[in-house]
Amino acid sequence: MNGFETIFLYVGMSFLAISAMLIISALLGPLRPEPKKLETYECGVPLLDPAHKRFSLRYYVVAVLFLIFDIETILLYPVAIRYQVFARQGWAIFFEVFIFVAILLVGLFYAIIKRGIERE
Amino acid sequence: MNEWTIAIIKVVFIWSWTLLIATIMTWVERRGSALIQDRLGPNIAGPFGLFQPLADGIKLFTKEEFAPKHAHKILFTLGPVLFAIQAFSAYAVIPFGDKIVINAKEIVLQVADVNIGFLFVLAVGSLAVYGFVVGGWGSNNKYSLLGGLRATAQLLSYEVPLGLAMLAVCMTYGSFSLREISLDQAGTFLGFLPNWGIFKQPLGFLVFIVAAYAEANRVPFDLPEAESELVAGYHTEYGGMRLGLYLFGEYVNLYTLSALMVTIYFGAWHIPYVDMSSYLGPLAYGIVSFLVFFLKCAFFLWLFVWVRWTIPRFRFDQLMGLGWKSLIPLGLLNLFVTAFLIQITV
Repeated sequence: MNGFETIFLYVGMSFLAISAMLIISALLGPLRPEPKKLETYECGVPLLDPAHKRFSLRYYVVAVLFLIFDIETILLYPVAIRYQVFARQGWAIFFEVFIFVAILLVGLFYAIIKRGIERE
Repeated sequence: MNEWTIAIIKVVFIWSWTLLIATIMTWVERRGSALIQDRLGPNIAGPFGLFQPLADGIKLFTKEEFAPKHAHKILFTLGPVLFAIQAFSAYAVIPFGDKIVINAKEIVLQVADVNIGFLFVLAVGSLAVYGFVVGGWGSNNKYSLLGGLRATAQLLSYEVPLGLAMLAVCMTYGSFSLREISLDQAGTFLGFLPNWGIFKQPLGFLVFIVAAYAEANRVPFDLPEAESELVAGYHTEYGGMRLGLYLFGEYVNLYTLSALMVTIYFGAWHIPYVDMSSYLGPLAYGIVSFLVFFLKCAFFLWLFVWVRWTIPRFRFDQLMGLGWKSLIPLGLLNLFVTAFLIQITV
């Protein structure tokens, strides 16, 4: 038995217990719907329009940058785990990692200079 | 007792334990806030208001469960459920003590010692985004939607420095298993310091703790629920147990992050300069290691409350700036320094 079965058990138990909490709560609580209560909250004024419509989303650049850097991190994990083994064989691994990260660092500085992450 | 019985006991125990800690944390948070603000805080229910979480729980269970007319009914429920499940699941690979011996059978105090512990925590931690964005979008409320989107941008941005800090730790210990990393931290470092991760990775710890606060949506980085701008952010429309799941999930996340910090930077269950296993019997040693680990976690849980009332909230552009312009370059610098030090010491 390796650990993943236990993890599966753990996630399964979380799911069951959380569903049970919601169901018990739904059974215990009252249910008295009325039109005013079911209205969407908009700071006291009548609802203008639904939130589900097109609007400009400027986190796009951040999402792309995240993708690049997360993949970079993932690619570095196998190197990191064996780093001490490689390091005994000389400096080659250090410069390889250095070049790999430096290229991406240049990209990050370019994004910062171009104000890719500054807008909200 | 066969393996499955032990596994089930551990799963049930640690699940209830995290839930208990999360419940007590609501009390600590309110009492701690009151202490810092020179108020009394909840003090009616039980001694020192200790039964307040119980009263809150009963109240949450007996509240009306309804979804707003315009909300997407399925996503509205799915959001908090996803968030709570990911919050609880992350603890599955983090140890909570060394090991305990009962009837000559050695039981490791960890739900599952998998060899990719680190990656599991990172992977499950990043699923929190779904809880926020699904709940925020499903509410069909502008404030919720903005809160959910902010949460996405913030969690994505701080995922990278968190990963970089952990990467340097992996390099130092050469392992992904959180138990192996904990075992490596016994003894002393350079002859006089405890052999803890923080003395090997001081810069990494700084990056990690800042990113951890952002990942947990805590002040100073609680932008997704900034009440002065977004009413309550992604959980504006929520009430009853669904809101309760968001709140529990947040506190469980705090506990997971504290336990992670203790495990990789603060020597897990080790007491500096003292080797407990040589003084105590196997059963007592297991219990003491559990308590030591918990006390260290309790300090970091308290630190979350302390920081909340010390540092004011960031502005959103400052938050993104800190993540991308300071923490990521710092994390990469830390990586280089670690690599260099390993290179010259190996």
